[in-house]
Amino acid sequence: MFDLLERAAERSRELGASYVELRGEEGFVEYLQMDDGRMNALTQRIERGVAIRALADGAWGFVSTGDLSSLGGAVEDACSMARAAARTRREPIELTEVEAHEDKVEVKVDRDPRHVPIEEKIGYMAKMTKVIRDYDPRVTAVTVRVRTASGRKYLVTSEGTRIQSDVMLVWGYPWVTGKEGDRLSAARHEEASTSQGWEYMESFATPEYMGSEVARRVKLQLEGAPARAGSFPCVLGPRVVGVLAHEALGHLAEADLTVSSAFNGKLGEVVSAPGVTMIDDGTLPGLVGNERYDDEGVPASRVELIKDSVLTELLTNREYAAKLGLRPTGNARAESYLHPPIIRMRATFFERGDHTDEELFEGIDFGYYCADMRGGQAQMNASFQVGIQEAYEIVDGEIGGPVTDLSISGIATDSLFKIEAVSREDFPFGAGRCGKGQEAFMSDGGPKIRFGKGGITFGGRA
Amino acid sequence: MGATAVEAQARSASNVGADIEQGQVSAVNRRASDNIAIRAFIGRRMGSAFTNIATRKAVEEALGLALSSARATTEDKDWVALPEPKVYPEIRGLWNEDLAAVEPAKVVEISGELMARAVEGEPGLIPALGGSEVAAYRSAFANSGGIAHAERGSVAFAGLGAIAKTEGGVTPMVFSYEVDRTLELDLDRVVSDLTESIRVCKRTAEGESGKSTVVMHPEAYGEILYYTLQQSIRGDNVARGKSKLEGKVGEKIASELVTIVDDGVNPRGAATFISDDEGVPRQRTPVIEGGVLRSFLWDSYWGNRMGKESTGNASRRMRQGLVELSPTNTVVEPGRREIGDIVSEMETGYLIRGVQGAHSSNPESGDFSVVGNPAMLIEGGELVGAVHGLMVSGNVYELLGQAVEVARTPITIQGLIGPEIVFEDVNVISRG
Repeated sequence: MFDLLERAAERSRELGASYVELRGEEGFVEYLQMDDGRMNALTQRIERGVAIRALADGAWGFVSTGDLSSLGGAVEDACSMARAAARTRREPIELTEVEAHEDKVEVKVDRDPRHVPIEEKIGYMAKMTKVIRDYDPRVTAVTVRVRTASGRKYLVTSEGTRIQSDVMLVWGYPWVTGKEGDRLSAARHEEASTSQGWEYMESFATPEYMGSEVARRVKLQLEGAPARAGSFPCVLGPRVVGVLAHEALGHLAEADLTVSSAFNGKLGEVVSAPGVTMIDDGTLPGLVGNERYDDEGVPASRVELIKDSVLTELLTNREYAAKLGLRPTGNARAESYLHPPIIRMRATFFERGDHTDEELFEGIDFGYYCADMRGGQAQMNASFQVGIQEAYEIVDGEIGGPVTDLSISGIATDSLFKIEAVSREDFPFGAGRCGKGQEAFMSDGGPKIRFGKGGITFGGRA
Repeated sequence: MGATAVEAQARSASNVGADIEQGQVSAVNRRASDNIAIRAFIGRRMGSAFTNIATRKAVEEALGLALSSARATTEDKDWVALPEPKVYPEIRGLWNEDLAAVEPAKVVEISGELMARAVEGEPGLIPALGGSEVAAYRSAFANSGGIAHAERGSVAFAGLGAIAKTEGGVTPMVFSYEVDRTLELDLDRVVSDLTESIRVCKRTAEGESGKSTVVMHPEAYGEILYYTLQQSIRGDNVARGKSKLEGKVGEKIASELVTIVDDGVNPRGAATFISDDEGVPRQRTPVIEGGVLRSFLWDSYWGNRMGKESTGNASRRMRQGLVELSPTNTVVEPGRREIGDIVSEMETGYLIRGVQGAHSSNPESGDFSVVGNPAMLIEGGELVGAVHGLMVSGNVYELLGQAVEVARTPITIQGLIGPEIVFEDVNVISRG
């Protein structure tokens, strides 16, 4: 693959492009879906393809192809398309200078998913289905999805970067429906690893763990009361805090979005209550979304988005680092060879604070504890929304009964100032996926955080 | 090779697009793909495979993978057969030579024109992101039941997400776009839609919690319907006990003003094809007529299993090999009055153009809890300004019952053709 890419890169030099990157991929990808014990999809594929991105006359041209026999022509196409785009630009796109890297990044796993027999994977899904069915007789439907990937990607740039990286993924996702009379409820759970192989599904994301987590939530949903509508003091648990980090500020700290958002021009300003620190750290080992280099060949890094309440850094690629005079943070990521790299988060989290968990609940006469989420979304005016699939009332400082589905929201430029306390306890990271036109796997998390009234709005129905 | 039944679908696509970023064309992209998906059956065991390499050798390898998967999997006692040949509808205008032969310079021109006109139309409007794209595809399907079908199509798109600075920050991003089967994209409509909305959103208004009249743009109710109602009319979800609508065909489930059709053959629809992804003809399926539930959507597997005819709603995720039930074009029957006239007679209420978080709705129960964004306050028949962080919560079946008027002019968006709908007594929650 390297030879093919380098020959194509040579061709780009003849065409006068100021920069060309070629990303090749080849690998095994698998998708399995079991609906109520029936295998509904069992697909394995070997996929190869190349993405070519050329910067010529100050604009980008991008070509994606599965035809590896004509990469020279694809490079020509990318350059001519860049020139077509360049005719309308007022100022040229420039890239911040970076060091070229030659490296080979290996992911060592105990059980490469491509060599795990299909029968074993079907057995895993059947066992999870049984765990869920056995948990509560009100479970009416169980869907279990599994994805795996095992392959390699290659990056060659006209500046001399030459990186080969292993690609690994194991992912599990049950979706469960419960029914009692006319009342229906649903819950999901998701776990993934990009640093371990099938052993992750045997040691952590086991059928027992995954199944009981999701079934427990369906049961709570069936037994919960509707949440009230309005603003209440609340404590958010690690899985919700992670999505809050991702949606409330994470997206708007992606430099390509920051420039159009309510956080534009706020670098160096206080954007939260005192003592709040929020990080996106692409260097933490073993977390989903983390890798040594991004898809422009820039090393991943630790980015202090909020440090002691001050907006300190943004996530960048080479283009936005040059445009805004910031450092390249290694956050250019592409879903696959079908897409150009764009700025994405990796592992986003709030740092621990100095309160005990008990202190977070103290003094709340009535409020909510939100323990688990179901997706979220950000908007440019700093409005964020997080779907909640596990929550409880807080009554007189104690966790009370469960509540049914709801979502929470806020305006980040206001809500972050309503943080009253951050737990000092350790927290787990959750793995998830984000859609910003492309799918990206990522991690997020944080300690329990307490918001005062006015910080978070509850979209309940009571 | 041992298969007792087999089907294959090939889809070749070419997309050319010009991206807009921060008020300039940033990139021109070309994506060419050849995707081939196979499902193979050994008795009642099914396996599937995918390849993006369009050679006989690669297809034979994929078939081998599908068969090895079929040998490894469990038997599905409910599987009956692959569909058999039927007569396909004639739909004019799906293919356009101009689109198939479009040059990069043309999409750059469209993107540039859209930006320039939007900026000219409203002071302070910033074209943040968007672009134009032209896609041309050819697909072919064959199965061992005797179906052999090929079709082709093309579609053009131009859209823009715009913001403007305000005293306290920025407006919500307003996104508007046009989809057409020709290059005659109605950029005037996109520009006036954007500029009028941004003009209102530059002003900030305060919302008030409680029950309110809410006008929803099709982008807003379309998202809510997709993640709730449209999951519940899928025949598989009905059969599996995942739908609140089970057993309710013939019953009133919405206001009598609500008529919704799943129209897979509508020439204006962006999701229109001659055949579904199992080779079954697309069709027009009334879902709700005058508030009464008329039909669920079926593919051949669930249709066979439940004694129903397929409604041509099978959709294949090529890379995953998953064939599942999916809506085509959701068409909402229009009402009599223009939206401007409706709003001008409203004392108070909200116009919600888009929602955040519809994907976190509960498809089984129909409960939703979203942020209306952009949401605009209506007072005295005027759009007063943008309300930031206005939540809307409820249950989709209650919401459909609260529809009191449907506007006159349909708007074509991805997967939906419909006008604005007015709902009363909607639960809105303001911040603070």
